[in-house]
Amino acid sequence: MHVLIVEDEKSLHQEVRQFLLQSQYLVDSAYTYAEASEKIFVNSYDFVLLDLGLPGGDGLDLLREARRNDRQEASFIILTARGAIDDRVKGLDLGADDYLPKPFSLMELQSRMQAITRRKFGLKRQELNFGNGFQLDATGRTIRYNDQDVSLTKKEFDLLHYLLLHKNRVLTRLQLGEHLWGNVLEDDSDSNYIDVHIKNIRKKLGQFAPTDFLETVRGIGYRVADSN
Amino acid sequence: MRLEAKLALFNALSKLLLVLLGAVVIPPIVSRVAVAHTDQRLHEKREEVLQLIQRDGISAFVQGEEYADYNILKQEYITLTPLPPTPDGSHAPHPPRIFDEPRQVDNQIEDFRIMSQQFATNGRNYRLEIGSSLATVELLTDTLRRMALWVLVIGALLTIATDAAFAHYLLRPLQHLITSKLQGVHHPSGFSYEPLETTTTDFRRLDDSLNETMRRVQTAFEKEREFMSNVSHELLTPVSILQSRFENMLQDPELGHAHSLKIVESQKTLYRLRNTVKTLLLIANIENEQYLRDEAVSLAAVLADVTNELDDRLAQRDIKLLEDLQPDFVVRQANRTLLFTLLFNLISNAIKYNRWGGSITVQGRPEADGYRLSVTDTGPGIAPQHLPHLFDRFRRFQAGASAPEGYGLGLPIAKTIAGFHNAPLTVQSTEGKGTTFSLLFS
Repeated sequence: MHVLIVEDEKSLHQEVRQFLLQSQYLVDSAYTYAEASEKIFVNSYDFVLLDLGLPGGDGLDLLREARRNDRQEASFIILTARGAIDDRVKGLDLGADDYLPKPFSLMELQSRMQAITRRKFGLKRQELNFGNGFQLDATGRTIRYNDQDVSLTKKEFDLLHYLLLHKNRVLTRLQLGEHLWGNVLEDDSDSNYIDVHIKNIRKKLGQFAPTDFLETVRGIGYRVADSN
Repeated sequence: MRLEAKLALFNALSKLLLVLLGAVVIPPIVSRVAVAHTDQRLHEKREEVLQLIQRDGISAFVQGEEYADYNILKQEYITLTPLPPTPDGSHAPHPPRIFDEPRQVDNQIEDFRIMSQQFATNGRNYRLEIGSSLATVELLTDTLRRMALWVLVIGALLTIATDAAFAHYLLRPLQHLITSKLQGVHHPSGFSYEPLETTTTDFRRLDDSLNETMRRVQTAFEKEREFMSNVSHELLTPVSILQSRFENMLQDPELGHAHSLKIVESQKTLYRLRNTVKTLLLIANIENEQYLRDEAVSLAAVLADVTNELDDRLAQRDIKLLEDLQPDFVVRQANRTLLFTLLFNLISNAIKYNRWGGSITVQGRPEADGYRLSVTDTGPGIAPQHLPHLFDRFRRFQAGASAPEGYGLGLPIAKTIAGFHNAPLTVQSTEGKGTTFSLLFS
């Protein structure tokens, strides 16, 4: 996967770049409007992560320009800290694939990219195998164990799915909470909702098979380990 | 009351007063005029009679005792009475007198206006009386009075009508100004800067200064919007950098456990900062009318979304949620996302500040002045001295060690969104029993 990061803020640019490189993406960088415009024109990318406030121009113009003479189908994700409400609507109208307001979580960015990839390649069914014989169907939103249905609540399902997408990574309660409650401004960061969800997930899956794969990392958060 | 109505009312009242004054003042004047007129006539007749006597001699009239002449309807009479000689034999010409007195004419007693004069001729004294029936005078007075009153009433009605029409014409620009520029303008962007068509200098000035003020307000709004946009960029970009950096650091396999814990703590602090900034931006954006209010939103539908999100939390604390909307209410001109946030905050608070195994009642009822939606919890309640400050930004109450964490921003957000939808948010609380937040949609 080839990704172009268009972001003028150097520190942020470096962090996103480092994260994507670790996640095995091929990363290219642009810091200004002109640079980005040229790179998009010359190279072919799977993803363009686009900041809107760029030196030399507005990111939305870049999106408009790219969509006009697009040969390949690069997916645009807008990343912005601009407060304007209509940026989101405008961006999506212009053909952006997603919109993440800053500050965003890198994990969230990655799962959005995965979702876009799934959509783009028409993967109707996305199935994840985990533990010993568990199967998660992301489109049907079901979990099965050897053809037996495991029933989870909506939030429990989302939580488990998110952990599975970031296998072998420790996710903190905050990262998990932000994924579950992303749209809502919550003011209690110390809530133990996540712990209760995890407890319930373990209880429900534990009726079928051991749940050692869902690890607690003390004081930090949770991780799904590779069963192999 | 509108200016035009007030003017018309005042006009009508003053005209009514004028008519009443006329009704009081006109009759005495008219009767005076009538009497004066009668007296004048009597004088003239007296002159005429005296002239006739001078020309034809008194004997042409008085042969014996007395001369009397009436007209057929007995409205007038003339008498000439010889008087007994005065004791001293002098002539006693009396100046003419005018008075009212009853007189018998043909067996009928009637009131007369009488002109009486004594004069001497041929060495004898005579008294001349000319009388005019008072009934006649009164008839005249009556006619005059009635005519005057009619003229007055018709005049008053006519002027009331013309004055009202003129006032309406004159005040039309003001009316236009009110309907097109003041009513229904909640934000300078919805203001019409079209100059008002008027020749009245005062309205011209009013319109000009109104336009000028609105232009200034609009500029201020735009500056604020720009400022907010810059502030959000300047504050959220560093937060974003730190958040990404912490995430990357946590992924480092060589990071020790102690440092990992520190980073998680830092993440929490950063999250708090982030939420504070975002909350302030959200409130500022709502207050700055950055959100559209162009959807008709069913409260039951929003409530369903909210409970769907909060189901797990309710279950985790074993709290029952009772929905009782009878009937559902559709908020016109609403913003669904914001209404969701509003209800989410209220219900999420009701969960947070509830007791284990308690309940939350969401009740909706139509009322005389709108539709009331209330969220009632069975928590410990809020002390009365805290209630007035409940919606203040950045204030939170220590209800004891078990009080959940929070930074006191949920309620100010709720209050701002409620205000944006013109639905006042109020709170009632009984310590030990619970708290009710209610919204009144109009």
